[in-house]
Amino acid sequence: MPSNIRSLMFITGFLVVGPLLAHHSFSAEFDGSKPIELKGVVRRIEWANPHVYFYIEVKTAQGKIENWGCETGGPGSLLRQGWKRDSLKVGDAVTVNGYRAKDGSKLADARLVTLPDGRRVWGGTPGDGGPGDPAKRGGN
Amino acid sequence: MFFNLCQWLFDSELGTSIRESTFVFPLIETTHVLAIALLVGTVAILDLRLWGVVLKGERVTTVARQLLPLTWAGFSVVFSSGLLLFIAEAAKLYANPAFRLKLLFLILVGLNPLVFHFTVYRDVDHWDAAVVTPPRARLAGGLSLALWAGIIVAGRAIAYYH
Repeated sequence: MPSNIRSLMFITGFLVVGPLLAHHSFSAEFDGSKPIELKGVVRRIEWANPHVYFYIEVKTAQGKIENWGCETGGPGSLLRQGWKRDSLKVGDAVTVNGYRAKDGSKLADARLVTLPDGRRVWGGTPGDGGPGDPAKRGGN
Repeated sequence: MFFNLCQWLFDSELGTSIRESTFVFPLIETTHVLAIALLVGTVAILDLRLWGVVLKGERVTTVARQLLPLTWAGFSVVFSSGLLLFIAEAAKLYANPAFRLKLLFLILVGLNPLVFHFTVYRDVDHWDAAVVTPPRARLAGGLSLALWAGIIVAGRAIAYYH
């Protein structure tokens, strides 16, 4: 097969399959070298495609209140990883281990979320290429 | 005013149920992408015929007549699936620069064939069998290819803006 046709097929394949695997990759928005741990109280939950967001109120060491947005995969991805739609409720105290947004805003990719019942659930989308990506752990 | 409309669509029962669904949203997305292949694929064949790249031995009108039903079928699916995705995300898409660019390209890509049909296509009889068609016909074909490519790239880029 001529190489130009092969590369065209590759690019087309990327365009078509990309959106189905993940809305966007981890590195499109987040910095894998900036891990962060947030402990806070859930104030708002957006159970929505293409990404679920929840917002937590975090008290800093200086006693200041900060509002952090936490991004995860979409509903389908979360359900497959053991989340339920009511796993998080407004008022719940959670610990989020994630990575900061590249733009420095108070937004984090929630890789691992410790729910009020002590369960630790994965918040990324398998295949998003971020730290600890289950698809990568398989030796990909 | 447009934002209020977007917010209303976003908050509507239809928009909310698609946005919060487990399977419906990704299924609509998948349908949208498949229909893009049908729509833009058939459009591209005609555009490339105008440039004399493919189907050189076929008359332009023959190619157009055979492709048009498929193009319209692709368009109707792409438009309705796109509309549903828009309703589900309207309030967030309103300010999205990639979405705005996509809308601009969509307007232009709609005007392009209108101009084509009311100008150079009127005397298609003179160049129907020509391998390479007149400059204005090729311009329309080139614009169509470039704009559709831009629409697909802008559409994909929506995910990278907030």
